[in-house]
Amino acid sequence: MTLLKRGVRSVLFSELLSGLMLTLVYFFRPKVTLNYPFEKGPLSPRFRGEHALRRYRNGEERCIACKLCEAICPAQAITVEADPNVAGNCRATRYDLDMTKCIYCGFCQEACPVDAIVEGPNFEFTTETRAELMYNKEKLLANGDRWEAEIAANIERDAPYR
Amino acid sequence: MPRVTINDIEIKVDAGLTVLQACEVAGIEIPRFCYHERLSISGNCRMCLVEMEPSPRPIASCAMPVTDGMVVRTNTPMVEKARRSALEFLLINHPLDCPVCGQAGECDLQDITVAYGANQSRFQENKRAVPDKDFGPLVASAMTRCIHCTRCIRFSTEVAGVEEMGATGRGENAEVGTYVEMALSSELSGNMIDMCPVGALTSGPYAFSARNWELRHTETIDVLDAVGSNIRVDSRGNEVMRVLPRLNEDVNEEWISDKARFAYDGLKCQRLDRPYVRENGRLRETSWDEAFAAIADRIGKIMGAKGRKIAAIAGDLACCESIQALKDIMTAFKSPHMDCRQSGAQLDPRVRAGYLFNTSIANIEDADLCLLIGSNPRYEAPIINARLRKRYLMGGFSVALVGSKADLTYSYEYLGSSPHILEQILSRSHMFAELMDVAQKPMLILGQGALVRPDGSAVLATTRNLANKFGLVSHGWNGFNVLHTAASCVGGLDLGFVPEEDGRNVAGILQGAESGEVEVVYLLGADEINTTELGSAFVIYQGHHGDAGAAAADVVLPGAAYTEKDATYVSTEGRVQQTHLAVHPPGQARPDWMILRALSHALGKKTHYDTLEELRAHMVHTNAVFAEVDVAAANRTARTEWTAFGTTGEMNASPFINAVENFYMTDPISRASKTMARCTNTFHVPYLNITGTNG
Amino acid sequence: MAELWQEYLLPLIIIVAKILVIVVPLLICVAYLTYVERKVIGAIQLRKGPNVVGPFGLLQPFADGLKLLMKETVVPSSADQVVFVFAPILTFTLGLAAWAVIPFGQGLVLADINVGILYLFAISSLGVYGIIMAGWSSNSRYAFLGALRSAAQMISYEVSIGFIIITVLLCVGSLNLTDIIMAQKSVWFAIPLFPMFVVFFVSALAETNRTPFDLPEAEAELVAGYNVEYSAMTFALFFLGEYANMILMSAMAVVLFFGGWLPPFDVAPFTLIPGPVWFLIKIMIILFIFLWVRATFPRYRYDQLMHLGWKVFLPLSLVWVVLTAGVLIFTGWLPLAGGTL
Repeated sequence: MTLLKRGVRSVLFSELLSGLMLTLVYFFRPKVTLNYPFEKGPLSPRFRGEHALRRYRNGEERCIACKLCEAICPAQAITVEADPNVAGNCRATRYDLDMTKCIYCGFCQEACPVDAIVEGPNFEFTTETRAELMYNKEKLLANGDRWEAEIAANIERDAPYR
Repeated sequence: MPRVTINDIEIKVDAGLTVLQACEVAGIEIPRFCYHERLSISGNCRMCLVEMEPSPRPIASCAMPVTDGMVVRTNTPMVEKARRSALEFLLINHPLDCPVCGQAGECDLQDITVAYGANQSRFQENKRAVPDKDFGPLVASAMTRCIHCTRCIRFSTEVAGVEEMGATGRGENAEVGTYVEMALSSELSGNMIDMCPVGALTSGPYAFSARNWELRHTETIDVLDAVGSNIRVDSRGNEVMRVLPRLNEDVNEEWISDKARFAYDGLKCQRLDRPYVRENGRLRETSWDEAFAAIADRIGKIMGAKGRKIAAIAGDLACCESIQALKDIMTAFKSPHMDCRQSGAQLDPRVRAGYLFNTSIANIEDADLCLLIGSNPRYEAPIINARLRKRYLMGGFSVALVGSKADLTYSYEYLGSSPHILEQILSRSHMFAELMDVAQKPMLILGQGALVRPDGSAVLATTRNLANKFGLVSHGWNGFNVLHTAASCVGGLDLGFVPEEDGRNVAGILQGAESGEVEVVYLLGADEINTTELGSAFVIYQGHHGDAGAAAADVVLPGAAYTEKDATYVSTEGRVQQTHLAVHPPGQARPDWMILRALSHALGKKTHYDTLEELRAHMVHTNAVFAEVDVAAANRTARTEWTAFGTTGEMNASPFINAVENFYMTDPISRASKTMARCTNTFHVPYLNITGTNG
Repeated sequence: MAELWQEYLLPLIIIVAKILVIVVPLLICVAYLTYVERKVIGAIQLRKGPNVVGPFGLLQPFADGLKLLMKETVVPSSADQVVFVFAPILTFTLGLAAWAVIPFGQGLVLADINVGILYLFAISSLGVYGIIMAGWSSNSRYAFLGALRSAAQMISYEVSIGFIIITVLLCVGSLNLTDIIMAQKSVWFAIPLFPMFVVFFVSALAETNRTPFDLPEAEAELVAGYNVEYSAMTFALFFLGEYANMILMSAMAVVLFFGGWLPPFDVAPFTLIPGPVWFLIKIMIILFIFLWVRATFPRYRYDQLMHLGWKVFLPLSLVWVVLTAGVLIFTGWLPLAGGTL
């Protein structure tokens, strides 16, 4: 019986035909492709993209140079320096982030006690030179200013689950 | 010996221990904030609660002495709950500012909260805030963080001996502080920072400059006084960020002086980071080769004099390696003119016991009488002063002082300032002689102030006679102590860096330089001499700071400071100790022995050692004491001889003047330190300017 | 002069023009076949395929062509240079030459020779030489192994293709392609000879090195097979040749089994559409199946491929030749061009 079945099946190409039918069905299915630069997929509020340093609403930098991000960074991509003589207490004089080292694990934003360093929703920050990926404090603050609305919204959306 | 049962482990402990200590013996850690081994027990943090049968409520283990048959449990749910609750109370008013707190990462409260605390606070009300106190330039305060453990109060009262701190107010309003707004006038105030289990008292100069987990620790030795305190240098990159004490029960226990702790910022200022050569009256930056060539050129001109025109002085911070290397060069030039007693103290290099702190610091606790001669240990060696106070607090310890009056941290009998008092005691015509007769283990401390006198040698001989006469030196006890102020001095004397036959001492060298008989003077970090007396001599200065010596020099060779080299120092008690490289010397500066070795090559008198190991072996060959590291003279197997030293002679009547006038500025490093300058302004200058009107 | 013009030049120009009329659209078709292939496979994989260059990505083939044209032709230093360069030219030329005999409509054929099918068969068989030459001259192990596989596979399946053609010829009685088409006026051969069409189609897949028989180019094992060392225009020629071959095999299938330019039903609406359009539509359907198969089936193992060729298709087609001949003789339907037996 089995032999007969198999014989009939192979002579009539039933498996091949069912395979062809399947692909034919898929041929007419709606496509999942996003027309990327013009269309974008949905992003989770937890998405870990380009870093940013945030400010308080009054414009004051959030970062207090506690260096917890530097300590936790598994790739050692973050360098924070503080000098009370230059910037006053609890202010970073330097906040360097080597985006080429960063592995986007998000530990820095988890470690940050004041939500200063965050990984924002931006994932389109390719550069033409390697040097441009060595972010400094100005660049990170500028990112923060640019993405603040989205970042704040994301933090708010994710807050109930934390 | 009581037997106690702790967590079903039955142990025998010494009577008089507390339950907390017994637990430590049993290897069980009890969390605590207020309890500290070296301070009295206050029992106010309630963190060390344990369960004791048959008591229905937990007991504070730090304050409960053990009794025979005691049954203690530290791992029951009740203890756990007690700890959690105690912590919750402590955290009620403790701010959540760990990210900006200097203590974070080494905070007892943080660690214990992680280990024993609850993960959430139930406290909904407002936390209290306490205004910060001004404790002076060294200790920064954030009094909101204070958990009222009173360690600082007990430290200042008991160890530092300045009763300036206390708690005011009750309950919610309790505050720790100085009663009146004033700086802490103690040379040990920095230790309060270590005492504080939270971040209420933190280091002022270190504040916000680094986080402690970033630092690299190097265990080394402090050389800013002659005690040889064990320290840990914390560095980040090539920068010393702070200095902390290291435990050594025989030397500094766990204290260090404020100078040792806070003078490190002087290591970053006024540094010599490249060689200089004087040209047309101005120092010009140059290369090592050029600097060596200038020296070789100058020394070549006077070679006919067979080295008698070359002299060398070792300064207070010179390490034994460089002293040995310099001595070898001087010997190669057949020059007898060298001296390591920069201050001019008339110490006798022939007998080791004659220039050591023979009793050893730890054995001060065994003494029952102390005669201070021309010394203010509070400024000259705060660590030794702390030991003296510790002994004083034990009771039955009488202290007397011959010399200028000082504000010591224990009461003493002031005998006067004239050297002749010594003679009176010697002839038993002074009342104090009776006390000395009665004392079982008397000791005397001979300060540099008594030796830096034209009649210093006579004072030394007289003191020796005193020691002999009153049984200060007996079997197993040597109460004769010289208190040095310079870290290099004992090492230099041990290595024989003293004038050889018809050689000149420091005064002689300066005299010769002024008169032209000495044409080349090599200053190995010697800054405390009167440089105007150097006259027209060709001065070579090797050192790490642009201080007086460098200003007078014709050639400046940049050396390394004590944090920047592996070097040997001998403390005042004859303890050979080694520093370790924590950071690299700045710029072109090099470890000092390497400079001297290179110089010896440039001068054509090559040393026979090329590595530090070979040099150290050579030092051991010179004096066997260098073979035994970290052993005080008192504990050595080979006891120091007690033969005659000093020269008997007339002592003049002028009073003893203490060697250290301003504790905060004694050497090139502390003189370059901004923190020390601030301390001088705060603690030293006001006393100098006391007039009738300001009290 | 006039004689020269009349006798030689004018026919030459006419022939060249005719060739161009066939070749240029053919090359455009080849170009768009690559585009359609990507689109179809994309669609089956729920993607969109090329859609950036031009509207709907329609200019993509030209962009690709331009890219290949601009790139440097790298000839490996250890390669046999003449053969290396000649191999893609050969493949490409053969891919185009076969079209000489394909009738696009009634009388629309470049060379209406009486042995058309034989010519077609011969030319398509010659394709193996280009591949063998490429593999050998590249002096590369991958290329050589790819070429060997290709040669073995093409020869294996040509045998069964040969028998299938014989089966068709038995039913037609002529080697002329127009005759073959006209013979299907009443019924397409695909209906009586359906199993043979299936065997022919599968063999065509193997003959053109298409999935699931693309072992010569198996990227997993051979990187890219015989054309691994080729770049720029030499690679482009291979590429064009291969896709031209695909279209050729489709055209052959249409001619042999689907009645060439003939409409499916010889009635009003169908007959209104001109023959060449029917021909084109049929080719496109076959080509779509090519692509569809590619997107559906995984690659065969080499021994399975050989097994299928020699142990299944060869006996099967042989039996069908005998069967067909027997039926034709038995029923007396055997068409005889020259008269009776």
